[in-house]
Amino acid sequence: MSTHDDLTPTNDLPGVDAPAPVRETDRPAYDDDHERTPLLERFPGRGSAAAWPLGLLGVALLVGGTFLSWSYTSNVLGDLSVDFYPNGVQICMIILGLVALVMLLAHQGPLHRLGDWLDTAAAVRILGLGALAYMVITLGIIAVRSGGLINVNPGGWVSTVGALLIALSGLMLVSHQSKDPLFAQTSSWVEIITIVVLLAAVLFGATYALGTSTGGAFSLFLVFAFALAWGLAKAGFFTWVGLIAQKNRQVLMLGAFAVAFLFPFTQGGSDENMSIATQVLIFAATALGLNIVVGLAGLLDLGYIAFLGAGAYVGATMSNSAFATIGWKPPFLVVVLIGACFSAVLGLIIGSPTLRVSGDYLAIVTLAFGEIFRFTMGNLDGTNGPDLTNGPNGIPAIPELNFFGFDFGQPHEILGITIGRFANYYFLLLVIAAIIILVFTRLNNSRIGRGWVAIREDEKAAEAMGVNVFGLKLFAFAGGAFLAGMAGTVKAHHDVSVSPDQYIFLESAFLLAAVVLGGMGTVAGVLIGATILKLLPEKLRFINDYRLMIFGLVLVLMMRFRPEGLVASQRRKLEFHEDDEDLAERIEEVHLEEEEAKA
Amino acid sequence: MTAFLQAIMDGLTLGSLYALIAVGYTVVYGIVQLINFAHGEVFMIGAFGALATWTVLFKGQTGLWVLPIMILGAVIVSVLTAVIMERIAYRPLRGAPRLAPLITAIGISVFLQEAVRLFYPGAKSKLTFPEIDVVTGSAIQVGGVTVQRAALFTIGALALSAALLWFFVNRTRLGQGMQAVSQDPDTAQLMGINVNRIIVIAFALGAALAAVAGVAQGLLNSNIDFRMGFLAGLKAFTAAVLGGIGNIQGAVVGGLTLGIAESMATQFIPGQFGGSAWKDVWAFALLILVLVFRPQGLLGARVVDRA
Repeated sequence: MSTHDDLTPTNDLPGVDAPAPVRETDRPAYDDDHERTPLLERFPGRGSAAAWPLGLLGVALLVGGTFLSWSYTSNVLGDLSVDFYPNGVQICMIILGLVALVMLLAHQGPLHRLGDWLDTAAAVRILGLGALAYMVITLGIIAVRSGGLINVNPGGWVSTVGALLIALSGLMLVSHQSKDPLFAQTSSWVEIITIVVLLAAVLFGATYALGTSTGGAFSLFLVFAFALAWGLAKAGFFTWVGLIAQKNRQVLMLGAFAVAFLFPFTQGGSDENMSIATQVLIFAATALGLNIVVGLAGLLDLGYIAFLGAGAYVGATMSNSAFATIGWKPPFLVVVLIGACFSAVLGLIIGSPTLRVSGDYLAIVTLAFGEIFRFTMGNLDGTNGPDLTNGPNGIPAIPELNFFGFDFGQPHEILGITIGRFANYYFLLLVIAAIIILVFTRLNNSRIGRGWVAIREDEKAAEAMGVNVFGLKLFAFAGGAFLAGMAGTVKAHHDVSVSPDQYIFLESAFLLAAVVLGGMGTVAGVLIGATILKLLPEKLRFINDYRLMIFGLVLVLMMRFRPEGLVASQRRKLEFHEDDEDLAERIEEVHLEEEEAKA
Repeated sequence: MTAFLQAIMDGLTLGSLYALIAVGYTVVYGIVQLINFAHGEVFMIGAFGALATWTVLFKGQTGLWVLPIMILGAVIVSVLTAVIMERIAYRPLRGAPRLAPLITAIGISVFLQEAVRLFYPGAKSKLTFPEIDVVTGSAIQVGGVTVQRAALFTIGALALSAALLWFFVNRTRLGQGMQAVSQDPDTAQLMGINVNRIIVIAFALGAALAAVAGVAQGLLNSNIDFRMGFLAGLKAFTAAVLGGIGNIQGAVVGGLTLGIAESMATQFIPGQFGGSAWKDVWAFALLILVLVFRPQGLLGARVVDRA
């Protein structure tokens, strides 16, 4: 926004540029970026030659320590009391140490050329601090579980000192990054191997995380994963990954699907983990549908869960359940279509009047619609209205799906590996998620998708450019509803019962949070967001009571500090940081690179 | 006829409650064009503030003289909540895309609800609100119409608040500053008005009225719980839109209209779709209808159709 605008009277253009001047006068008071950098630069010993050997020593101690016993008692975090036999908790530290080693060697030494591309100092710093946090938590857990720090064996202390040294070294190092990883020219086989390795790491990580038996071990894994991801992101590694992912799209998609497909086979028929995985998948599929509405078209839908619910109710009332109220029992594939269409029609009914009044009103109307849906489902019980949904009790005992004799309720043997009930649904949901992702990406790259982006960024300008604003918005809204309805019909069978209290506002808020947390308008981000939101409460039982409060806090903090989400699409980032000229330039470059990569 | 008058009476009571909360939405929207979605929680916290004041200071007392102090306690807690919320969560987001503050508001809303549930002793289930002489107790009969004492308190509170609000907005310097900011923040700032201070005052004003509504709700229902802010907030927002968002008189008119419409729907829609089970559905249906046919509301909104 130019300063010229501020001089013109603004009441003719309600709100288009009204808030901006207020913000500019406020800005210095909230912007603490200015103070952060000097603090680091004032760190004692910064740039000294001792930093690099110190880091190497740290890595040696950190990794060496993991081969020693960490704990006197053997009942803490698996078994940490055996020498020369690192368990999962210790292996995490080995991995972190090795990545730090690579970064150090890139800084100075054999991999020197790599250091031109990566901000090695920042990576070592984050990895070191992460390792330190990890070790402190581990020692804390050992101390609490087995009565005092006296039970920490030398290995634990050695690794902690190692982590501390890495962190110090990282704080003292000065990066010699001179090139942007964006312009790295790498051969395609390196790229493909990187993608495969990353996907395999995700699969192993997920298997390990689900296999952890205690909340402590799981939290530690989170610290580890977070430190690793953050360190690599700081180094600029993910900028490059983003680019090669863009370049090798097909490989990535196929690979990701293969990993997701292989996942049940790593679980050895364990229903517990598969149940979590199917829940994550239902949630993720719905969130992806919402992502079309919110992330692409920029329409804030706070009643999206109602569309999932509509699909689920259609699925339930047309199922073979003894409580189903509709006599007609078509085959499931027909029901899926009916459910999806029913949801889409609801979307049209609710969308066509409200999409004309834009912005906040839509959010509230969708919210009201979500509540209307829930009340209505609760009321159609025969006394307050026609008997359609059994009221608050809902429709229980929905039978398992059965495709051509393949009973989803029974375990099956495939290649000697048992595939249980949840794994069956997992595969079905995977197909649905894949369909939604396909729809999402194809739409995103189409004329329609570009129209949505135009509407999202400036509705009036889009309209002036000839974009059919109302039609496209309605299409996004109804299309999103269609996909949710589709997922809903499967959810009804997966959950065995439907009732109104499954479709409260909080669920819509959760879906929205998954989209926002991960990164609006991206597939990967939403998948990550959905996984985080569903997996964490399942694994971190001890915070269960505080779960919602933390959730609320995370939403607020996220909007304050990283409104573009964990995995930000570059364009989105720019929308939230409008006055950042460097970013704008950079995004321009990224865009050109991506265009070239595609061509 | 009696049934009709009774419905009017019930509607006025309910409507006064909505109107008191709706003013908060409308004042804030008029000035910063932000739907403070967490305003319903401010109302809820007001009710808990009143209960806490009573429990700590006057447990067992029922005299009318404790009521002003309870209201004062409620107002203090609500205003503090709203001001802190504005300072920490909303102010840094001023000028950000419109999605951001709305999502923040949802976050605050969930956070406040949970904070009350977890940290207010016994708040995991419904809490009994104290009985106060004169304003609670046996209902009064006026020509066949049953009038709850708490209902009179609610309507009276609205009347008094509306009068004070009118005086504040039109007759004081701060109020005039507020009008100036809502018309044109840039020019207002150039004229020497401290815009940030006006925004804080708008939040505080809305919170104070919501706190009064919280006390009224406690007296009407004789119990309160941590979830009560959500639906009440949504209804009050409906009322604000109905009257024309950004328009203070509109909020009052909208609140009363919504209240009466709701109680009429409960009373007079025949058959299965009548009755209290459907009243919320009709209220929200009314919201959608208003947005379709008269998005600027009954009295006209200050700002309509913002991208």
